[in-house]
Amino acid sequence: MNTFKKLTAGLALAGSMMGTTALAADGTLDVVFINDGHVAPYHVAWLSGFEDALKAYDEAFDDVKVTGRWLSAEGSLEKMIQQAEVTINEKPDVMFVNAINVDAFEPLVAKAQAEGITWIAVHSPMDSADYSFTLGDVVNGTNQGMAMCALSGGEPYKVGIMLGQAGNPSGEARREGILKGISTCDNIEVVAEQPADWDTVKAQSITENWLTQFPDLDAISGVTDGYMYPAIAVSQNSGRTDIDFYGYDGDIPIIQQMEGGNVKADILLSGTREGWNFVQMAYRIYKGEEIEKVYDFFTPLVLSKENHEIALANGFPADVQVYHVEDALEVAAKGYLEFGPDSVK
Amino acid sequence: MADITAPQRRSFSLDGLTLRYAVLVGLIVIASIGFSMANENFYSMTNIGILLRSISVLFLVSMGMTFVMLTGGIDLSVGSNVAFSGGVGVVTLVSTGSPWLGFAAAILAGMAIGWINGFFIGKLQLSAFMVTLATFAAARGLALVIYDADSINVHDPVFLWLGGTSWGNLPVVIPFVALMFVALSILLYKTTFGRDVYATGSNFNTAFVLGRQPGRKLIWVYVLTGALAGLSAIITVGRVSSGQPWTGLYLEFDAITAVILGGTALAGGRGKLLGTILGVLLYGIIINGLVLTGTNPYLQSVIKGAILLGVVLLDTYTQRGKA
Amino acid sequence: MQDFGKLFRENNIIFVTLALCLVFFLISPRFLSVDNMSAISRQIVPIGLIALGQFFVVVSGNIDLSMGMGSVLFAIVLGVIFGVTGGVALGIVAVIVFSLAFGFVNGLLVAKLKLPSFIVTLAGLFIAQGLSGLIIPRGQQIFLMGGFFRFVGAEKYFGFYASFLFLVALFALAYVVYNHTRWGAYVIAIGNSEENAKLAGINVDRVKIGIFMFSALCSGFAGVILSSRMGFVQPGLDGNGLLLDGIAAIIIGGTLILGGRGTVTGAFWGLLFIGVTNNALNLLNVTDVWHQVFKGSIILAALGANYVLWQSRQAEAQ
Repeated sequence: MNTFKKLTAGLALAGSMMGTTALAADGTLDVVFINDGHVAPYHVAWLSGFEDALKAYDEAFDDVKVTGRWLSAEGSLEKMIQQAEVTINEKPDVMFVNAINVDAFEPLVAKAQAEGITWIAVHSPMDSADYSFTLGDVVNGTNQGMAMCALSGGEPYKVGIMLGQAGNPSGEARREGILKGISTCDNIEVVAEQPADWDTVKAQSITENWLTQFPDLDAISGVTDGYMYPAIAVSQNSGRTDIDFYGYDGDIPIIQQMEGGNVKADILLSGTREGWNFVQMAYRIYKGEEIEKVYDFFTPLVLSKENHEIALANGFPADVQVYHVEDALEVAAKGYLEFGPDSVK
Repeated sequence: MADITAPQRRSFSLDGLTLRYAVLVGLIVIASIGFSMANENFYSMTNIGILLRSISVLFLVSMGMTFVMLTGGIDLSVGSNVAFSGGVGVVTLVSTGSPWLGFAAAILAGMAIGWINGFFIGKLQLSAFMVTLATFAAARGLALVIYDADSINVHDPVFLWLGGTSWGNLPVVIPFVALMFVALSILLYKTTFGRDVYATGSNFNTAFVLGRQPGRKLIWVYVLTGALAGLSAIITVGRVSSGQPWTGLYLEFDAITAVILGGTALAGGRGKLLGTILGVLLYGIIINGLVLTGTNPYLQSVIKGAILLGVVLLDTYTQRGKA
Repeated sequence: MQDFGKLFRENNIIFVTLALCLVFFLISPRFLSVDNMSAISRQIVPIGLIALGQFFVVVSGNIDLSMGMGSVLFAIVLGVIFGVTGGVALGIVAVIVFSLAFGFVNGLLVAKLKLPSFIVTLAGLFIAQGLSGLIIPRGQQIFLMGGFFRFVGAEKYFGFYASFLFLVALFALAYVVYNHTRWGAYVIAIGNSEENAKLAGINVDRVKIGIFMFSALCSGFAGVILSSRMGFVQPGLDGNGLLLDGIAAIIIGGTLILGGRGTVTGAFWGLLFIGVTNNALNLLNVTDVWHQVFKGSIILAALGANYVLWQSRQAEAQ
């Protein structure tokens, strides 16, 4: 068993040099996902999608035993490094690592690859990693901003944007995109930008302050749907039912607020989908399929059908991929539709 | 005069502490057997190296916390201080290019926060809990200001050496921590400073009457803890090859838990560094094992709480049995 | 003489708070708008509940570190019961029962087994944190919709939020209990000297257990209000931030952390001080980075002020 594993490890290493990693079929596929946290709504959906997908793949394919687990660094880089070290020593086949700081992981990537582990850098790409799983945050953000332009109706329109933790690359990229999208029209004024540190409680206080501070606020935009839950609840409870919301993440409860509700646009990442996509990707690597070194997660914009038509009439580019609410909810709830075992059979 | 009461107190506490140490060793054995059955990799040299390296910072900080708690105090600021002093060290390194200046700056910065704590607690005799709660917030804030809430990558090999290098499976930081343990043991058990630490905790007023100047001693205890936080910062930077503003988050809770596990009394005056070492080890083994077995983080919290309560309860029962 | 010192300390925090308000008003006139005042009044409610529960614990010479994470746990109890049965009343009853039981266990361990409250409630903090994630299926978020949550979260009477009025009523009740009943005297006596309290015939154990049950109940209320305002519950909220704000409020309000001394009105002003500071730093767009530095320095300054007062009182006494 041990020598066999070493042999496959050697093969895997050779494979990775050629750009495609073939984890020779020894009948097991062990996938470990080290995440930066586990409590935000997005993370919850993400980790459960990952768990469900592992189970589904294990049941669907008789020739391979699919196992795996996720670990949460709870926001601590030291903890994440320790978890990565321990995991490397366990020699799984594939590691997905959502690194809190990419540079700190360079030595560990090399170590993992020497052990024949395929390292997949999540969200922030790494040159040294075998693959990077990216989101296209700038493009997504731009789509959100352009949707706001197209749906704001041409009148002066005031928006507050809730940002991620200062210095966080994903948050910065999303912000950059949103501002870029907004800059395509001139009727939108960004009256406030404030980091809410991915924290729902902070988002709640910020919403309350904004509603007081800007009695004529038209919309709240955020770099994560985690901010939308309290923003929607606080606005509605204060009787401010006129405020529009522009989300990011594709959380199911938020998309549900689109049809007839005040959420105008969202970006369909959906944690469930991403979790399923991870396992699909690991399986494709295991099968020796060729995958782009920088794998871009398919993340369409979500609009209601009605709003999509309005947006198009207002000059929203027709080539932007848009899912209507019904379709978005379907794929978000059922990760297997896009990324299940059937997708690779 | 002071020695009249000291031996009595010590012989009594030794019994209680020996029992506690036996309990801890027992728990460590049980935990490691359990984890090794759950996962064959637990006993591998690599894993032991990883385990020890991951708790090296906790070792240092907890030893400092032991001094503080022996005086009957507490230091909630150590985690924030690790981030702050690391920030000062890294910024000094980047701006001067000298790792040695960086080291000195980090340790001095740690000592500065320690001095502020010590001044308010020792000199003004304010509550350690409140003072260090204030520096807990302020030091974290200062760290964020220094880093501008972003991380700074460090490439200097000298600066990274202590926290980042391994000799085979043995991280260099392990012998370093062992050396610190010996040095701090000498300081605590063989010097008048150490005797005063115990005396301060046993009874502040008596120590004051006996002319041991507990106020000034207290300042030095917090400065020492701050210096250890500065050292921990250097190790942490080496480990993650970058300076991070959010490093050491809630480290103080871990350190306090480990020190309490190690049998040091919250009221001060009773406890030993050996106990702290055992406490950190038990804590580290459990965390490592839970990672190995992929245990749900929420369950990990419950286990942490249960062990803390369990060990203290066990202690109460054994103490009562003797009485 | 002591009365004078007490009065001065209370007024001290009142003056500082009012001065702070004036400064913020000069920087941003909107600060004193009715809307913003009512926003502050709403934001301080959860912190205020933590502060009030903690007040009695601290005066008795103990501390309850589990209050912050406790409120997260109790909010989730509410969410789970509501999510499963759809019953609000049942959820509230469950929170009350569960929180009282939680506090009872804390109190029992502290009073009967003589364990330090710091350790017991630190363990309680970890356990509450863990349970909050374990009792909710897969850590999912549960929406709290319906009249009751809207009422708690946003209903106003005479221009005041219902939740704020509830807090004020609770503080008033606490004021009466603390100053005009035997119970209050017992708490102070225990904080001053447990031995003496026992010699005076006070049932120390019972009082202590009661104190911890009350603090846990306050956490329960804080959890209900926090989650109603957010409109949903989810584990992993930062309960510790709430805890530390609550402790800071009562200490700034002049409560002695070692026990035996403190006033309810002082605690209330300390709470306003924290609330005003938090709100202003947000309103003035002060970056979060400086927020922490500011807060830490303010606590240190308040401690320093307490020291100066103590010194002057010592001098007067001699």
